[in-house]
Amino acid sequence: MFDIQLPAFLEPVINTFRYAPLVIQLAMIFIVIAALGTLLAYFSILRNRYLGNRRDKRLAKLLPKIDSLIIDEVLTHPEADTLPADQVVLNLDAFQELPLDKKWARTALTERIIHFRRNVRGNMGLLLRSLYMQLELDKDAMKKMKAGHWEKKVQALTEFTSMNMSVADVTILPLTNSRNRELRAAARHAYIKLSKNEPFKFFDVVTEPLLMWDQVELLRIISTTEDIAIPNFARWVTYSSNKSVVSFCLKLIVHYNQLPAVPAVIKLLDTKDHYLRADAINCLGKLRVPDVEDKLVSIYSTQPLHCQIEILKAIGRISSGRHIDFLKLEFLHSTDFDLRKSAAKSLVKNDWIAQQVIEELMATATPENLRILKHCMNPLIKY
Amino acid sequence: MSKILLVEDDEIMPKIVARILPSSEYELDHVSNGKEAFEKLESTQYGYDLIITDIMMPYANGFEILSKVKSQPRPIPVIIVSNAGNEDMVMEGFKLGADDFLKKPIIPAELMIRVKRLLMKNK
Amino acid sequence: MSGILEILGKIYQSAIFVYGLVLLLVYALLTIFSRLAVSRYTRKNSLHQLDLLSSSPLAPGITILAPAFNEGMTIISNVRSLLTLNYPRYEIVLINDGSTDNTMEQLIAEFKMVEVDYAYNVKIRTHPIRKIYKSTDPAYSSLLVIDKVNGKSKADAVNAGINLATFNYFVCSDVDCILHKDTLLELILPVMQEEKMRVIAVGATLRIANSCEFDEGVMIRMRPPAQLLPRFQEVEYIRSFVLGKMGWSYINCVPNVSGGLGLFDKEVATRCGGYDHSSFGEDMELLTRMCRYAHENEIDYAIRYIPKTLCWTEAPATLKIFNRQRTRWARGLAQLMYSHFPMFMNPRYGKMGLIVFPFNFFFELLAPLVEFSGIVVYILLAVTGNINWPYALLLLLFVYLYSVMITTISIVWDQLSFRYYKSWWEVAYLCMTPFMEFLIYHPLIVLYSLRGYYYFLSGKKSTWGNMQRQGFGKKK
Repeated sequence: MFDIQLPAFLEPVINTFRYAPLVIQLAMIFIVIAALGTLLAYFSILRNRYLGNRRDKRLAKLLPKIDSLIIDEVLTHPEADTLPADQVVLNLDAFQELPLDKKWARTALTERIIHFRRNVRGNMGLLLRSLYMQLELDKDAMKKMKAGHWEKKVQALTEFTSMNMSVADVTILPLTNSRNRELRAAARHAYIKLSKNEPFKFFDVVTEPLLMWDQVELLRIISTTEDIAIPNFARWVTYSSNKSVVSFCLKLIVHYNQLPAVPAVIKLLDTKDHYLRADAINCLGKLRVPDVEDKLVSIYSTQPLHCQIEILKAIGRISSGRHIDFLKLEFLHSTDFDLRKSAAKSLVKNDWIAQQVIEELMATATPENLRILKHCMNPLIKY
Repeated sequence: MSKILLVEDDEIMPKIVARILPSSEYELDHVSNGKEAFEKLESTQYGYDLIITDIMMPYANGFEILSKVKSQPRPIPVIIVSNAGNEDMVMEGFKLGADDFLKKPIIPAELMIRVKRLLMKNK
Repeated sequence: MSGILEILGKIYQSAIFVYGLVLLLVYALLTIFSRLAVSRYTRKNSLHQLDLLSSSPLAPGITILAPAFNEGMTIISNVRSLLTLNYPRYEIVLINDGSTDNTMEQLIAEFKMVEVDYAYNVKIRTHPIRKIYKSTDPAYSSLLVIDKVNGKSKADAVNAGINLATFNYFVCSDVDCILHKDTLLELILPVMQEEKMRVIAVGATLRIANSCEFDEGVMIRMRPPAQLLPRFQEVEYIRSFVLGKMGWSYINCVPNVSGGLGLFDKEVATRCGGYDHSSFGEDMELLTRMCRYAHENEIDYAIRYIPKTLCWTEAPATLKIFNRQRTRWARGLAQLMYSHFPMFMNPRYGKMGLIVFPFNFFFELLAPLVEFSGIVVYILLAVTGNINWPYALLLLLFVYLYSVMITTISIVWDQLSFRYYKSWWEVAYLCMTPFMEFLIYHPLIVLYSLRGYYYFLSGKKSTWGNMQRQGFGKKK
């Protein structure tokens, strides 16, 4: 088979192999593979632990230095509270004691600055940002933006977003249409945060659903960006054909208490999509729009269960006291448990005027209904 | 000199607070979880003028600390400093008697003012 | 006569050969898939900050269900640790399943609980609930305690909890399990990041708590178990979660979300009737039924797994309790296969019917039988002098080394993503365990499984034994 000269002690092994049936030959091959595989596994555990420990040790040494530098040179800067951040001259020389020629050290410093900025804003936050810029830490992220791999780009975008570094629209916009979902999302978030013109433009064009997670990130970005012009979100409630955008805009309307958006939301009650309609009802309830109650009550009987529950809740939230009879009727005559419970809860929320009705109901209710009422009236029970 | 207890599991926040509240005017003790907070409070017989606490922490959360502190004969004023954006949580804090609420990231001057105000009020 | 025997022998031999080959291949594939899944997870995780969710008003509500039966030793510290989880919107429903010790009294005293009139809708029938408690201290307002008549099963207790759960997702755990503080954030993340499918269940890696250090329900220091039997289980858990479940998760074929920790879609779980109290493996049974329900109602579903260890559970440290646990599991598996057999190779149930079910049938259910028969044949052949010893030993060596390799690789995957344990020395200690597993641990499992099958066939009555606990309350 082979012409290579083998040591003598392997001779019997080779002979066994040569004359063995196929199964045994395979087994022998795999014995070698398995043994090597196991050794390789040990090696990678060792290597991984070694590298990890080394990193930990380095960081354990570096981080306290970084912290004290940031505190001494930035946070306790004598002019930090008096001068605007861009006029404060930072003592950058002090930072030269850090091994900033090494990439890992720069990364560690950047992460630390971001960590600081998660805890503190205002002038101090701006000072931290100018430290980041003056030490040219953004260069690494810039390089990452140009790198091919999407993951690097996402990291860079996240860094820019948390440092509030402006990036040209032409750099970000193409990425918002990337084929990679993660990158696309990160680019959109960055665009909202960093773009000077029309940050909400992508609401117009996005066709895919915004995931729940995207919404969490978006809300955070929108609500923490200080100089962002909040548009009237009714625009997308009316015109967007993307249901997740509409649903998210409803949440934003609540978050910003945008009463001018109410007509658009009321119009949305006519949509065919149950889930969207439920979201719209929920939004109206949270905005406490009293004028909408009549409309909600009038459509009530034709709605699916989850919309009905939302209507009952909305009436409780609005608490105008004008639909006590409706709530009472629902509570008494609905066959569904959740409807009765929601009606009872809303009655209790209207108790400033419904006190008498509630007492009357308590006196006459069936044991189950009585329990529901007691449940809703108990301040210890949250839900 | 006012004694302040800071309960916070983030490692950076205490350093920032220490910078905001200068040691010449405030004596700042820092613990990093609920258990240590209770130990500290008990060992000093609740001898603090103000408590600054986070909400989500190991062993005992901020609500428990609040509840315990507010049930003392001499309730210590409490400021919650948290990144919780959930309104329910904020409400819960106030229901338990929190005197103030600051959302992270904080503005240093704001913390300073509120600390001063609470200390004044309770003099 | 001897001709027939010879033919039968040939058939047996080839069947075993094919069986073995397929099993080896499946494990090879799982190794690759799990690596891909683990790195996908670590990559995603490094890009998304969990604390973003912990501070968001948009975090979906989650109900934690914690059934407890005579857990007096640990109950307070465990509830405390549940109360301090990192999550903005959750409630804890603790179900005291008719404990005969002072579990209930302790809860009432420690958390200032009072009885309340709690209105709930019975969607799943359970043993009656005696009383429901809430705390008068607003600091514990997320805690709800149910005192119910003992239903002789965890399933019954959890079902009672599901009836009272407020939120759309529930996390099921054992009250004796120690959870990582980010458990809820980690478990809900796959649900929030799923693009097209509905995630009906999410699980995470479980580990053995026996030699770890805990302080009032908080994990302080992770260690591989010092005793051999729990250490075997630690290795087995790493293999089955990090390599097995993660591998299956990669192709959306997760067969089971462990009863120790799992997040479930409440609507689907309720619709298909909740946990089955007559089952001995209620976790896997529920998941199978949820999949079945999803298929029958054309819900495009996914089940996800997380490689990160979020839950530590105390493993049986004596053979007696271990025997009881494994017998029970085997019996549950046999039950499950029997009652859901129409799904076997049924294309209507998609991957569940064509991959998950057949795999479980052949390589989980039948494996102990096949192995046992193999040993019998081996002995027969040896007695009649028909064994080619060198070849037989070679084959054995191969299987041995292969299993060691697979297990070691699963430890690597585990280590690559999280670097658990303090020193490499502890990892080395763990890496020695697979060498003994094949000879000591594995035969035990085969034996106990066969016992479980026997109980299944004979219908022996048995209740779920309550494990004796050492308690995590104090530093050990």
